[in-house]
Order: sequence, then structure tokens, then C-alpha cells
Amino acid sequence: MSSEPIERRVSYIGDRLRGSQCSICGKEYFRTKDYCGKCGRKSFGKMEDIDFFYEKGKLEVCTVVREPTNKFTKLGPYIYGIISFHDGKARVPGRLTDCVLKDEEIDISVLEDREVVPRFRRRCAAGQSDIVPTISLAFSFADEYYPYQRHEITKPKKEYETPGIVGYGVYVSKFRIKEGAIERSIPFIDEDAITAAVEAGKMALLHAGVDPTHIGKVYVGSESNPYAVKPIASKVAQVLKLGEEEKLEGVQSVDAVDTEFACKAATSMFKDASALVYYPRAHIPYAMVVGTDNSQAAPRDELGGELDFFVGYGGSAFIFGMRDVIAEIEAWYSCTSDTPDFWRRDLEPYPRHGGRFTGDPAYFKHIQKAARRLMEKLRLQPSDIDYFVSHQPNVRFPIRVASELGFKEDQYSAGLQVAKFGNTYSGSSPIGLAAILDEAKPSERILIVSYGSGAGADAYCLMTTDQIREKRLRQKFTVKHQCESEHIEYVNYDTYRRFKLGL
Amino acid sequence: MSSSYPAIIGVGRTKFGEHYEKGPEILIEEAWLKASESAGIERKNIEACYSSDYFLQLTNKIGIEEGFISEFSELHVPMEKTRSFSSALLNACNAVQSGKYGIVLVGGVEKMTDRWDKIRDDLMLLEDPWSYYAGCTPEANHELMLREYIKKYKISGKSLETLNLALAHIAVKNHHHARMNEYAQFQSEVSVDKVLKERLNARKSLGLYDFAPISDGATALILASSEIAKEYGDAPIWVVGSSSATDYITFPSRDDRTSFMASTIAMKSALKMADIDTKDIQLAEVYDQSTLLEMIALEDLSFSQRGKAWHHIYQSCKDYEGFYEIDGRRLFVNTNGGLKADGNPLGATGGAQVFEIVKQLRGEAGNRQVRSDSELRYGCVLELEGFGTKAYVHILARELK
Repeated sequence: MSSEPIERRVSYIGDRLRGSQCSICGKEYFRTKDYCGKCGRKSFGKMEDIDFFYEKGKLEVCTVVREPTNKFTKLGPYIYGIISFHDGKARVPGRLTDCVLKDEEIDISVLEDREVVPRFRRRCAAGQSDIVPTISLAFSFADEYYPYQRHEITKPKKEYETPGIVGYGVYVSKFRIKEGAIERSIPFIDEDAITAAVEAGKMALLHAGVDPTHIGKVYVGSESNPYAVKPIASKVAQVLKLGEEEKLEGVQSVDAVDTEFACKAATSMFKDASALVYYPRAHIPYAMVVGTDNSQAAPRDELGGELDFFVGYGGSAFIFGMRDVIAEIEAWYSCTSDTPDFWRRDLEPYPRHGGRFTGDPAYFKHIQKAARRLMEKLRLQPSDIDYFVSHQPNVRFPIRVASELGFKEDQYSAGLQVAKFGNTYSGSSPIGLAAILDEAKPSERILIVSYGSGAGADAYCLMTTDQIREKRLRQKFTVKHQCESEHIEYVNYDTYRRFKLGL
Repeated sequence: MSSSYPAIIGVGRTKFGEHYEKGPEILIEEAWLKASESAGIERKNIEACYSSDYFLQLTNKIGIEEGFISEFSELHVPMEKTRSFSSALLNACNAVQSGKYGIVLVGGVEKMTDRWDKIRDDLMLLEDPWSYYAGCTPEANHELMLREYIKKYKISGKSLETLNLALAHIAVKNHHHARMNEYAQFQSEVSVDKVLKERLNARKSLGLYDFAPISDGATALILASSEIAKEYGDAPIWVVGSSSATDYITFPSRDDRTSFMASTIAMKSALKMADIDTKDIQLAEVYDQSTLLEMIALEDLSFSQRGKAWHHIYQSCKDYEGFYEIDGRRLFVNTNGGLKADGNPLGATGGAQVFEIVKQLRGEAGNRQVRSDSELRYGCVLELEGFGTKAYVHILARELK
């Protein structure tokens, strides 16, 4: 059973690793404090809020936990230790995550004194009807898959007349399953759609360099929220401190909402975010759109189990605004029809789909309609477009739809990521878009067409700006890195199912 | 001042271990009756009661413990409940010394084996919630402390082997003592090889035989003011030092993680209160929740210098003669088998430690009576709550100065 007030307090501190620093003597504390124990009365009102969310720590000492307490048993053996920040000014307990310990001797002395980065994860196991406990006292090595990156807020240099993408981030776990020609990303056992949303949002903030307090709205699109009722967006807003923070009550001045439309839950909101930042009276400089999914699929021998060959895990986040834009939105077109090609009823753990329906009358029809209408609207030919990317439920569909629309391989190959990550549902076409933005030159045109079962498609035409190059230097955790990192770890089918089921 | 010291006039305890058929109230009753009998007092003489259990309400979901004690003892006197036996004793000493009560019952009980299913979770949660959230276990903090110790004193190679052996010897020694203790949970010898083998099995620096077990048990004593003590027992044991100290609950946030600051502070003030020196103490019951903590306690209580206790332990245990030899002096440590082998029913543990010192000082310890080269005068008891979050030190004396 969860205690709601306890969960609120532990998450509020633990998700962001909030602390305090005495501005008189410099002493740092994990957990917020109104005064400094060293300086006493005179330090009242002189404590500054700090947090270790973007910081780099050091694993000082550690041990292997092979017999965890009840709520940690599903993790298997793990490394637990003491992490110090700022040369020992503050110390916290922490567990290494993203780490599958083999059944062999572990020399802990080679792990000690290495640099680590906090990761936002599920804290421990919880019952099906309990609050999902989260924490950032989980860490991974800074020189491995997930690099340390300095969080820096930069002053905007240039105003644009058209809204567009200001920054973006992709988060895919380091674990993969490889079957035939397709590799798929899978969550570590302490990950889910919530954790990927926060990590993707963090990456977008690192890339954009915008002041998070200037983000006025966050949309999170997902179809695998562990909650039927309770938004992921509120977690993203609180952990990433979006909007002005009212510290006394721990409230963020930001609008946060979850959206759902199968795999287009996020892309649908690109236009809303753009419109919002464009609307002069809104006074919202930036809006964030996150697409996240721990894509669900029944086990292979069950009904709907064919999806189990394609589902992935990951999130993407895009920040929209009118300053320091890297890709302007030229136009969009969306279409919708009531086509029940894929669904998941309330209380059902896995979705079903209508077999042949998912192809021609669903996927192809809507994507082609949206793409053609948008090109007509802009009087564009396929040859006027440098990059084409569509929703990627498998390898075949996006290639076929691209060819039928008249695109060549060099136009669609950059965005084709399904063979690396699987179908990441709400994150699918956005991750393709991110891969394109990772390598596009200035003044290149991108056509992205998402698809959501149910059914509908959103097409956007984007034009890259000169600033795309300079901002690229800010992000080391690129899509390419997440495909090619030497630290990617492959697991077998049983481990994949275990990780997928989670804590 | 010295004339106002309170005295222990009777002690009693149950066997530690698993008491499947007995509820906590049965255990405390048994311990209390034994203590009363040994003191030669009547039920009606008791003016107040201080009882302790660490987390009985949480683990066993029982009601207000004092109510149970009232029901079986048919006493309606003031009763206070604390977390550890030493804490109950300290409060009782304060009350008796203030002149409020003449005869006080101090008791402790724990029934841990009732909750094998979740006892480690509860232990960890009470020990340090933030570490629990991060995945810590009750054993992991001991491992981390050992790593910190090894790194701080730059112990490696041959020295590290010796340190590891010294810790193994502590387990062997405590099991050896427990064989002569009829109340002890474990009554079998272990060998260094066995301790090391369990470490290998666990693939850890501390293994099964390095940790105290989970236990059920109860302990009690009768504390009396100095005037009354002179009337009753023929051999009152005086509580000449009684002190406690407190440290941060989050272990990683403590400045020094190779010692327990609370133990050091508590020992200093207890010595001051007793007006004696560390060297005057011949017997010590220390809180060996793990073998490591016995070693750390020797340093915290200033018997050994910092970073040196393992040398003293190793040298003394090569040919163990029943005591640690530190700078030419004999120190008898955990002669009841310690928490390791006597057992560790948290709320009752301190009572067993006091029980042992009382028996030894009175010369009533039977075949485990220590062979001291001088007359036994002082013994001390260190009890911890949590992972060094609280420390209590009591100094007991055979005779007043």
C-alpha cells in the first residue's frame, strides 16, 4: 500500500536530488534545509537551493547486494554504494542501474572512484494498484553509454518569425534484443514510460539550452502510461522544473497534460505547441512535447503476440519556440478517420490489432493522404524534400510508403531507425526526426508523417536553419550514439520479457 | 555524588533464539520473574517500569506493550517504553538518581523471527530510510564501512589479509564464548575456515558468520537506589557511568564513516561520569552486529588507537586465551558470545550485555568466568540503535570508589 503524502515527499526530494547550500560557509546538504548546522541562526534565509540532477558524482565505496530487501529482489544482484558530489561536499546513497551482474567475481575496487551520473528510475517494486515509486538515487558510469553533460542555460541570440524546434532529445535504454535483422531497445527493469519521458525531456533541455522556467506547457504523449489515471506530464514538469517554481508549496507554474492517440499522441501536439508559442497573448516562450512508450505487446504465444517481434522502448522530447530555432515549421496537415485497426481496452495489459487492417486501409491510407495533401498545400514535389520520415511499426511499411510517395532511399534512410530501436510507438517517427536533425545541414526540408492507430496521421514540413550546426555541439547523446555505442548490451528473450514487465 | 549511584540488584533473561510458541509477553514475563527472584524483591516493591523493544509494534502488530506488562504483573505503576534496553536503563538511572523512585524494573523484549518475511525491510527502513530507498540492505552498510576503513588506512596486500583474518577470529572467539553460555542462541564452535568459506559463498568481505542473527528473547533487571541496594542484594553492581549520544540517520552523510561518532562521545561522557580512565575497564560488552562493529567498537571506546584494533585482535586471537591483549593489558570482550553468538533480539540485547557484566563482576559467570590477572572492578556496555545513529554506554562497577 502506498502512502500518498510519503510518496509525494520522497519523490519531490529524490527525483530531482534536491538539496541546500549554505551561502556563508559553502556547506552542502542532500535534502533541503532552512539553515546550516555549522553557521546556525545567521544562516536563516541564506540557504540556497541546489540539486544534483545534472551533476556528476563519484562512486566512493561500494558493495554487491545479492540479497536485497523485499522490494528490490526483482533487480537481481546490484552494486550499492556511497556517491559523493562536489569533491565530497555532499554524499548520498545510491545503486548502480543499467547493470546486469554476471555470475562471476566482481572486483569492486575497479568500480570505486569512478564518475557517475544520476538516472531517473523506478525506486523499487510496488503493487499493481500502488503509486509508482521513483527516485534519482540510481546511477550509471559517466564514461559509458549515458554520458555526463553539463547543463547550461544560454541567452537566446536570434528571434524568428515562424515557430519551430528549439531543441530536442532522445532517450533509448542501453539494452537491446537482436532477432534477425532487427534490433530493439528494451527498458532496464527499473524503467518505464515515465522514466523515459523525464530522460528525454532532460536531453532536450541540455540540447536547447533554454531556461526551463520559460517553458509554459508540456505535453506527454503515450499509450503505455503505467497509470490509467495520473499524468506523466506532471512528473516531467516537476522533475525538470518546468515553468517558474513556487518553492514554498512545490508547485510549478506550467500547464502539463498527457495526450493519447496510439503512436501519434506526441506528433499531434507539435502544432499545438507551435501555435501556443506563436500566440502573442499567451506569453509562453517555449512548449515541450514528449513522446514516450514502453511499447506493450503480449507474449508471443498469446493473442496479439505478433507485436512482440517489433516493440521497442524509448522517448523523445522536442522544445518549440521562436528563439534560436533549428528547424522552422513551414506547414502541417492532419487527417483522421474512425478506423479501429489497433486498440487496447481499459484494464487489458496488451493491445490487439486487426491483422490485415493495419496495412492498406489504416497505415498507408492515412500517411499517404496527409503527406500528399501537405505537399499539395506547399506546392512541393518529392524532389523538393531532403528528408522523409514516417511512422515505423516495422521495416517494410515505412520503406513501402516512402516509395509509393515517390521518395528515394537517400531521402528516407536517415530517418529510418526501426531496425535499431524497434517500434517505439509515440516516440517512433519523432526519433526518426531526431536522427535527421542530428545530421541535417542548414536550409534543408524535412517531411515527417506520423501515424496513430484509430486512426490518423500528422504531416509536418520543417525547414532547418543556420543555428542547427552550432547547437549540435551541445548534445553528445545523439541517436547515432544510442545506436552505435560500444556499451550497448544485448539480452536474450527471457531477460527481455523480465525487463519489460518491470519492478 | 558517588553515594547516589543506582545499583543493579537482580538480573534475568531468557534464552535467545527462535521461540516459535512464545509470544513477546511470555518472554518478558519469564525474564522479569527471574530478575525479581534474583533480587529478592516482591512485585509490590516495583515503583516504575522502563521497558524497551525496537519495533515490536511494527513487526508484530501488537498493542501498547506497557498494557501487557500491566496485565501479567498486575502493576499499575508508571511505565515508559524505549527502543533499546540501554535507553530504558539510562532513563531508569536518571529517575532513580533524581530520587523519584527507589526500585525500578527495566526490561526489554523482541520477537523478530515472527516476521522472517519482512524483518530486513523493517530493519533497514528504521536504520536509514534514504539508504533503503536507494537499495541498501542491513548488511550493505557494514560492507561499505569496511571499504571506507580499508581505504582510509590504506590497507592492502598482506595487511588486508590479516585484517580479514582478524575479523574472522572475532566470530570464532564469540562462538567459543557462547558455548559456555547456556542462554546463547548458538552453542557451537566455528572455525576460521568456516567463516572464510561463508564469505566465499557470499562472495563478500563479510559473510554469514560475520553477522549477528535474527533472534527472539527478553531480558530484565531490577535497579535500586543506593540506600535500598545496600538493604537488598549482597552484591549490588553499581551503574557509575550512564550516557548516550546521537548521530545523523543517513550513514553516507556522516563526515567519518569509519567509526561511530556517537559511541566515541557516549564513552567519553560515561568515563567522565564514572571518574575513571579507559584503562580501568577490564570487561566490555560491545555491539557486534557484525564482526566489523566489534573491531570498530574497540577504537570508538578508545581501547585501541584508530586504525589499529585489527592488529590487537589478530595478535590476541592467534592463540586465544580468553581476552584481547592491548598494550599489555587484558580486555575481556563479549564474553557471553556477543550479539554474534549470544543472539540479537534488538530490544532485549542490551539486557543480555548488562547481564553478562553483572555476572562477571559478581564472579557468578560459572565456567565462562574470566581469568583476570587483577581483581575485576569495572565493565562497560556499548549498545547501538540503528547503524550507529544512537549509542549508549554504561559503566558498571563491583564496588564504589
